[in-house]
Amino acid sequence: MHQVRLQIKGSDEARYSYSIDVQISAVLQYWSKPKNYPLFIRSVPVQNELKFHYTVHTSLDVVEEKISAVGKAMADQRELYLGLLYPTEDYKVYGYVTNSKVKFVIVVDSSNTSLRDNEIRSMFRKLHNSFTDVMCNPFYNPGDTIQSKAFDSIVSAMMVQAS
Amino acid sequence: MSIPDYMQCAEDHQTVLVVVQPVGIVPEDEFFRIYKRITSVAQVSIRDSQRNLYIRYRHHYLPENNEWGDFQTHRKVVGLISVTTCGSAKEWPQTSDRFHCQKDVFGATLYDSRLLVFGLQGEIAEQQRTDVAFYPSYDDCPDVEKRVEDFVESIFIVLESKRLDRATDKSGDKIPLLCVPFEKKDFVGLDTDSRHYKKCCQGRMRKHVGDLCLQAGMLQDALVHYHMAVELLRSVNDFLWLGAALEGLCSASVIFHYPGGTAGKASGREPSLARGQGQAADTGKRHRPGALTANGISADTSSEIGRAKNCLGPEDIIEKYKESISYYGKYKNAGVIELEACVKAVRVLAIQKRVMEASEFLQNAVYINLGQLSEEEKIQRYSILSELYHLIGFHRKSAFFKRVAAMQCVAPTIPEPGWRACYKLLLETLPGYSLCLDPKDFSKGSHRGWAAVQVRLLHELVYASRRMGNPGLSVRHLSFLLQTMLDLLSDQEKKEVTQSLENYTSKCPGGMEVLTLPDGLKLPPVPLSKLPIVRSVKLLDLPVSLRPHKQKGLLENNLSSKSPFIYSPIIMHTRGEERTKKIEFRWVQGDVCEVQLMVYNPMPFELRVEHMGLLTSGVEFEALPAALSLPAESGLYPVTLVGVPRTAGNININGYHTSVFGVTSDCLLDGLPSVRTSGCVVEVIPSLPRLQLSTSLPRSAHPLRPSKEELSSSVSVQLFNGETQQLTITLENIGSEDLETLEVTSKTCNTKEKLFGEFLSWDLEEAVSQLPLKPGQSVTLTVNVKVRLDFSGGENLLQDLNDDGISVTGLPISSPLRQVLKPRAETKALGSESSKTDYNHVKTLEAVMTFKYSGGAGKVEGYYRHLSLGVHVDVEPSVFFTRVSTLPATRTRQCHLLLDVFNSTEHELMVSANNNQDLVLHPSECQRPAAGSSRGEPSLYRSMSLVGWRSRWLSSTFTRYPSRTRKPCATPTPNYWRRRGFTPRPP
Repeated sequence: MHQVRLQIKGSDEARYSYSIDVQISAVLQYWSKPKNYPLFIRSVPVQNELKFHYTVHTSLDVVEEKISAVGKAMADQRELYLGLLYPTEDYKVYGYVTNSKVKFVIVVDSSNTSLRDNEIRSMFRKLHNSFTDVMCNPFYNPGDTIQSKAFDSIVSAMMVQAS
Repeated sequence: MSIPDYMQCAEDHQTVLVVVQPVGIVPEDEFFRIYKRITSVAQVSIRDSQRNLYIRYRHHYLPENNEWGDFQTHRKVVGLISVTTCGSAKEWPQTSDRFHCQKDVFGATLYDSRLLVFGLQGEIAEQQRTDVAFYPSYDDCPDVEKRVEDFVESIFIVLESKRLDRATDKSGDKIPLLCVPFEKKDFVGLDTDSRHYKKCCQGRMRKHVGDLCLQAGMLQDALVHYHMAVELLRSVNDFLWLGAALEGLCSASVIFHYPGGTAGKASGREPSLARGQGQAADTGKRHRPGALTANGISADTSSEIGRAKNCLGPEDIIEKYKESISYYGKYKNAGVIELEACVKAVRVLAIQKRVMEASEFLQNAVYINLGQLSEEEKIQRYSILSELYHLIGFHRKSAFFKRVAAMQCVAPTIPEPGWRACYKLLLETLPGYSLCLDPKDFSKGSHRGWAAVQVRLLHELVYASRRMGNPGLSVRHLSFLLQTMLDLLSDQEKKEVTQSLENYTSKCPGGMEVLTLPDGLKLPPVPLSKLPIVRSVKLLDLPVSLRPHKQKGLLENNLSSKSPFIYSPIIMHTRGEERTKKIEFRWVQGDVCEVQLMVYNPMPFELRVEHMGLLTSGVEFEALPAALSLPAESGLYPVTLVGVPRTAGNININGYHTSVFGVTSDCLLDGLPSVRTSGCVVEVIPSLPRLQLSTSLPRSAHPLRPSKEELSSSVSVQLFNGETQQLTITLENIGSEDLETLEVTSKTCNTKEKLFGEFLSWDLEEAVSQLPLKPGQSVTLTVNVKVRLDFSGGENLLQDLNDDGISVTGLPISSPLRQVLKPRAETKALGSESSKTDYNHVKTLEAVMTFKYSGGAGKVEGYYRHLSLGVHVDVEPSVFFTRVSTLPATRTRQCHLLLDVFNSTEHELMVSANNNQDLVLHPSECQRPAAGSSRGEPSLYRSMSLVGWRSRWLSSTFTRYPSRTRKPCATPTPNYWRRRGFTPRPP
C-alpha cells in the first residue's frame, strides 16, 4: 500500500496546507440494512462543512468493507479501531466501529503530525465512552441524532486539544 | 501519448489492434452497421494450429498512440479496414488514392489492410483483389465476416513470422534498441557498444518478443520471455521497460487465471464458454491450446515443467502490478501507461474481490497527473473512476466521482455547458446517496439517510434540470425535496425552496403524471402530502333532516356473519381493515356530503391551498373543491370538503386532491399511515326528495327540554289553558325527486302533565291529495294546537283552603292573585328565569311532529326521510279561583260550593260547566258561580259537579281543580250573564 502511495506524484503542486487543524467526528448508526446516516457531525472550521460530509460519507465504503472483512475472521474478538481508512490529499480519515455497529469517523489534517495512531486511538476510546453515556440516557432514542450537551462538550474539548 | 484508454483491461495485451475507418463520405449509421459486423469477428482460431487470435477494433485511434507500439505491441495498429462508398467507376481511382493515404498514417506498423467498397458494380468490381472487396450495397454484403476472418488470418501470418524472426536467438547479430517516443533523444550519442547498452537492447527485445508471443496465442512462451526480460532489465535499471515487462507478466498471468476476462462485460469472447473454463483454470488443469502445442519453434526455455512456475499466482499478480506501476511512476511522460495499468489492476482485483487493495490502486490513479487535460477528458476520467469504484462495491465513492464528473460537465470554463449530461450523471449518483426518487419509499417512518448530502444533490438536480430547459423536472425534484426533506430544512430554506417552486410552476405547473426521461427513467409523481399535513379524515353524516332511514319491514339482517360469536374480546381487524370499514350512516345520491379533515401547516408562512377536493372511487362523485389559507405553523385546523355523489353504490374516500404552490397532488390515504380515519367506505343510496318546512308561527328560541331527538326545527307559542291555535305548516319540495308519500305523526314529550283531549290535530287528506309533489311545489297542512291542562293539584292556589277547608265562611286568597295580576311580559320573563317558582303557573307542553316522506328511486329501495318539528307551548292558566266557600244546602247531605272565579287574561272568556250554563268572564273580572256539593256521598258526586269543575269534598280537601275554558273572545258574547248571585240547582 505504501508503495502505491509513494507514487502519488504530480499532486505535490496541488497540495495546499491548512493553517487550522480540521477534524470531524461523525457518529453513524448502522442498521442491518446498510443505511447509514449521521447521528452527530461536527467540524472546525464550520464553513465548508459539506465537504466533510462528502468525505465522511465516502469513507463509509471503506468502513463497511473493513467490517465485512473482519467480521468473517473473528466475530467476537474484533478490534474496534479500524485504523487509517484512506488518505486524501489534505486529510487522514480514521475509523472505529463499536460492537453494535455504530461508526465513528475522525478526519484530521494530514499535515498534523502530532496526532499519531495512539492519540487517535485514545480519542476514539473517549468518544466511545461518551457515546455509551449517551446511550445510557433513558430519554435518548437509539437512532436519533445526538443532542447531548455532555457529548458535545467532550467532542469540542477533543477538537481544541487536537489543534 | 496523452489520452488514456480507460476501458483497457489486462487481456487486451493479447489482442491485435485493427482500426476500422470510413473513407470518403460514408453515412454514419451505415458505417456503424458494418463496424458492428466486423467487430463480431473478435476471435479467430487459426487453421492448422490450435491458437486463437484476438482482435481489438477501434474506429478511432490516435497515430501518436501508435508510436508506443514498440513498447507494448497491443498498442500498435497492425490492421486497417477501410469502408467506403463508391458510386461509379469514375470515382474509383480517387477512392483508391484516399485508401492509400489512410494506410500511410499507420503505415509503419501495418501488417495488412483491407478496403471494403460499397455501391460499385461493373468491371472494376469483377476483378479479384485480395485487399479490396466490392459489394453492391450496404445491405448486400453477406461475406463481410468471412472477409474479415481471412484478413485476420493474414495478419496472423505476418505476426507469426515476426515472432519467429525476433524469437530466434541470433546472438551474434546486433539487436536494435527499441524505445518509446520520449526516450529517443536520450539515447543520442550513447555508447552502443557498452555492456549496459547491449543488455538493455536484449531485455527490451525479450519483452517485445514476449508481447508478440502473447498476441500470437503462445501464453507460456510469453511468460518465459517476460521473465527473462524482467531479469535483464532489472540488472540495468531500465525502469520503464522493466515496468512494461512486469505488466506483461501480469497480463499473461491474468489471462491464464481469468479466461473469462476482467473487463466485466463481454468483450468479444463467448462469456458462457469462458466462465465454464474459469473453474478449470483455477485448478490448474486447463490447457490453453496455444500454450500447449506451440506450433513452430518452441522458444528456448519453454517446457511443460516450467509452465506453472512461470505463471504468477493471484497474489503475485498484484505485487507485480504494484511494482510495475511504481516504475512507471518514475516517468512523467508515462502517466497514461501508469493510469491504464492502475485501471487494469483494479479490474483484476475486482475479480479477486480484494476491494481494499483495489481502492488503493484507484486512490493512486486519482493522483496521476496527466498534464493539461481537456474538460472532456476530465469528465471521462471521473466517470471511469466512478465506474471502477462501483465495480469494487464502493457505491458512495462511485457516486462522489460521478457527481464530480457531472459538475465538470458544467464547469464555468466550458463555453457550452452540458447540462443534459450533467443531469444524467447526477441521476446516476442517486443510488450511491441512497436516494430513490419515489416518494413512497420515504413515507415509511422518519427519514434515514445522509440528509445534508442528499439535500445538496436534490438542489443540484433541480438546477441542472432548469438549465436543461425542462422546468417540469425541476418542479418534480423540488416537490420531492419539499416532500421528503421537509423536516430537515431550516425555515429559511423552506422559504427559498417554496419560492423557487412557485417560480417554476408559473412556467410549468406540476402534476401527477409520471415523467419519463429520454433514457427511460421514470420519475414517479410526488404528492405533497405534507403541505398541509392531514391528521385525520372523518366522514360526516348528513344533517338530521336529510338522513335517510330504512323502512322497518325491509330491514336486512344486520348481524355480521363473520364470526359465530356475538362478542369477542379479540379485536380482529387491523389498521388496514379499519380504513375499509363501512360506516354506519348512509349518504344520499344528489345530496351534498361532507368530509372533515384536520389539517395543519408545518411551514413558517401562510400556506394557500387551492382546489382542495376529495378523491373517491366506487360511485360517480362530483367533488366541490375548496380553497383555504392556513396561517403559519397553525395548529390543527378543521377543513370540510364537500361533494355530491351522482350515482348510488358504495363510495370509497381514497384521498384528497390539493394544489399548493402550483403543484397539484393527489394524496391517497393508503400512502399516509399517519392519517387517522374511522372508515372511508359509505353506502350511497338512491336519491330521495327533500322537504323544506316552514310554519306560520315563529321559530322557537329554546330547544325542547328532552332533546332526545334532533329536530329539524321547532316553533313555540304561548297559549292560555283551553285556547286553540292554528298552525299552518308549509312543506316545499326543494329536492329533485317527486314526493310520493307523506306521513305525519306526533308525539307529546312530557307526560307528567295530564292532558285532556287531543293536543295536536290535523287533517292530512287534503295534503295527501296533492301528492305526488313535484320539485318546487309545496303543500300546506293546518294543525290545530289545543291545550287543556290540569292546573290543580300541587299548586298552592288553594292552599289555604286545606287549613280552613271546614270553615264555611269565605276565605280570601290574595297572594296568587297579586302574582297573576302582574303584567304579562313580566310573567314571561319570570317564567323563563325561574319556571319553578311557587307562584308561576305557566306550564309547558311539548310535542314533536314527524313528517315521514319518501319518493323517487330511494323509495323503491325502501328508504324514507323524516322531518321533525318541535312544538313548544307555554300554557298559562286562564282562570283562578280566588275564594272558596260553602253554604249549607237545603238538604243536610248537600251543601253549596261557592267559588270565586277570576279571569286573569286580557280576553273575555267563557266558562262552561256540565250543566251547560255558560259564564262569560271579562278580563280581570271576578264572578262567583255556585256549585252544589254533597258531603261524602259517592252517588251524588257527578250531580254535584257544577260549572264544569268537578270537585270532591273529601277529608276537607279539594284534590282536583280541572278547568275547562274556552277560547277567549275579543268581544262580549251575546248571552252575557250578569247574575251575581248563584242559585244552586237542586240535584
